[in-house]
Amino acid sequence: MTLVVQTIADGLVLGGIYALAAVGFSLIFGVLHVINLSHGILVLLGAYLALILSGVLHVDPLLTVPLVMAILFALGYVYQRFLIQYAVDGSAFGSILLTFGVALMLQNVMIWLFSPDMKNITPTYAFTSFKLGEISFDAVRVSCLVASLVLLSLLAALLKFSALGRVIRATAQQTMAARLCGVNVRHVYAMTFGVSAAFAGAAGIVIGIVLPFSPADEGTWTLNAFVVVVLGGVGSPAGALIGGLLLGMVSTLTAQYIGPSFPNVTMFLLLVVLLLLRPQGLLGNAFAPSR
Amino acid sequence: MAPRMNTTRRRVVSQFGVALGAATLGAPFVRHAEAQAKTLVIGGSVPLTGAAAETGLNVNNGYITAVSYMNDVLGGVEIAGEKYKLELKLFDDASDPARATTLIQRQLDEGTNFFLGSFGSNIVLPTAAITDRAKKPMVQTGGGSDAIFTKGYKYVFGMFPRATRQFAATAAMFKALDPKPETYSVIWTNDAFSKTAAEGVRNSCDAAGLKRIEGYELPAKVTDVSSVLGSIRSKTPDLLVCVMHDQDSLLIARQMVATNTNVKLLFQGLGPQLASFREALGKNAEYLCCSTYWDENVSFKDKFFGDSRKFVEYYKSKFTRPIAYHVAGAAACIETYVMAMQAAKSINPEAVRDALAAADFETFYARIKFTPQGDGDELLLGGYIGQVQKGKLEIVFPQAAASAKPLYPSPPWDKKA
Repeated sequence: MTLVVQTIADGLVLGGIYALAAVGFSLIFGVLHVINLSHGILVLLGAYLALILSGVLHVDPLLTVPLVMAILFALGYVYQRFLIQYAVDGSAFGSILLTFGVALMLQNVMIWLFSPDMKNITPTYAFTSFKLGEISFDAVRVSCLVASLVLLSLLAALLKFSALGRVIRATAQQTMAARLCGVNVRHVYAMTFGVSAAFAGAAGIVIGIVLPFSPADEGTWTLNAFVVVVLGGVGSPAGALIGGLLLGMVSTLTAQYIGPSFPNVTMFLLLVVLLLLRPQGLLGNAFAPSR
Repeated sequence: MAPRMNTTRRRVVSQFGVALGAATLGAPFVRHAEAQAKTLVIGGSVPLTGAAAETGLNVNNGYITAVSYMNDVLGGVEIAGEKYKLELKLFDDASDPARATTLIQRQLDEGTNFFLGSFGSNIVLPTAAITDRAKKPMVQTGGGSDAIFTKGYKYVFGMFPRATRQFAATAAMFKALDPKPETYSVIWTNDAFSKTAAEGVRNSCDAAGLKRIEGYELPAKVTDVSSVLGSIRSKTPDLLVCVMHDQDSLLIARQMVATNTNVKLLFQGLGPQLASFREALGKNAEYLCCSTYWDENVSFKDKFFGDSRKFVEYYKSKFTRPIAYHVAGAAACIETYVMAMQAAKSINPEAVRDALAAADFETFYARIKFTPQGDGDELLLGGYIGQVQKGKLEIVFPQAAASAKPLYPSPPWDKKA
């Protein structure tokens, strides 16, 4: 019994991290209808920025979250406004090709800047753990899960209660109506991309603390985000959370009870099954009802 | 406008005349220089981007170091009475076997006769198949999978023993530990190198009389090992052997520390050799063991550099990147090629292949000798066992090369920090 609970606990912790890593991808997909294949690059950029900033400022890596998010927000805004928007205007598939190309280029730029060597962020509590009854928890992973839940809640609150959130939702649900009401849709798209990039950057910090990373990992985080979004549904932090937790639990339960080499098999099997039975994901498209 | 054009034209013509005159006057000297040193092209691909880039860069730097030393410091190499300058034609294969095969095929079509290997068995294997079919030699330090050496290739030579034979020295060390360990478990990832390496671990450890508790296969890309560590805590072996790339090794070590999963000795094939790996684990890196195929303190005489220390000195004058054994192995590939050509007294690919097959050369890296199948001799190129002691990687086996005694058993993680 302890083993089952331990495995589920490990899965939830891992799933929380997957959820945060995917929420930005989900938002861009839901609002802009863009499949951002450079999402993994934004995640890794967050990890590298946290590594540099925590070293320079001598602070805990999690305390660099606001600064990293601000930088990534600005980069995301500019990236969408001055690059992706033109591709979207050109053709429906333009954005896929563009973001794929940008991902390839930026991966090489990152190798040039940071070297291809693996890096890792090691906070002071990197090697501590604690127990709740018989279940042991890795303090780093739990702190990252807490950070993920806080950030996902903040994003949900931003989308639901703030003026920016209302405008984003309105634009996603009825672009033409929003435009007729005076909303600057291009600006809203860029703001959405900025917010998504900021959350990808925050996820990068969390991932950098939990796992060693190198520029070659960008594809993994784009792919994981894609799976999470398909499982959970598009456009909402809740969908990303459900998809992420599901993915995390499937991953650890498979590793424990079927074999450590099988998580990817069950993960993609689940993806195929869900695409057949419920292609809109478990929670559906958060912005779909008014379309 | 017309006069200006005329002036320009005149100037161009006169400058061309001066240049032509200079070229004519200088021609005998150019010819003389050409007569002094011909160019010998060695081709290949290396992963400078993608998943294998970290070690790929080390391999690339090793090739460059040796060629640069031979050309710039020694003024070229003499083969059959003629002076040659070496020219490397290496391209980035982006850690992609498909791209690597295209690059190698193109170089073959362009007439390249000699090849160096990429890094990673998944890349070396398909590229070696192409060069072998074309009867062009390949000397490589990046592929250890058995598949490279068991397909009957005649033109492929590797600086390591094949993966299933690489663990023999480590198993011998395990056997010599006091108190003698009795059980082991092994973890590997789902890729060509790790899988065959794990097979080698099982063969060697079983032959050494160690009882296998469990074998764990992880996916090629690992993000979490909590379930495996849970199993290890419930069925704890004396020795835990991890054969995978350094990034995954670090993840396992970190999660072991965080979950206080203890074994008497943790052996990680790749990882503890790197200063960055030891730095990331801090005091927890103490007692970790790994394989290393070269150490600058183990002294062999070298025809070109003199010895390991001089090689390291020259490397450091060219690169700021910390040196690793793959750098030395790659430089040794170039030395081996040159010595084989000198022994063959020819740059004919087939003659050089025969000289490589008969090689018994001393280099700063090791004594180079290949098995009839082309992989490194198990005893001469089987490497050393290193252990992290006081933050430094000490050679603890074999005894003849040891700089320290192996420390065993290691204390639990919480007693190290």
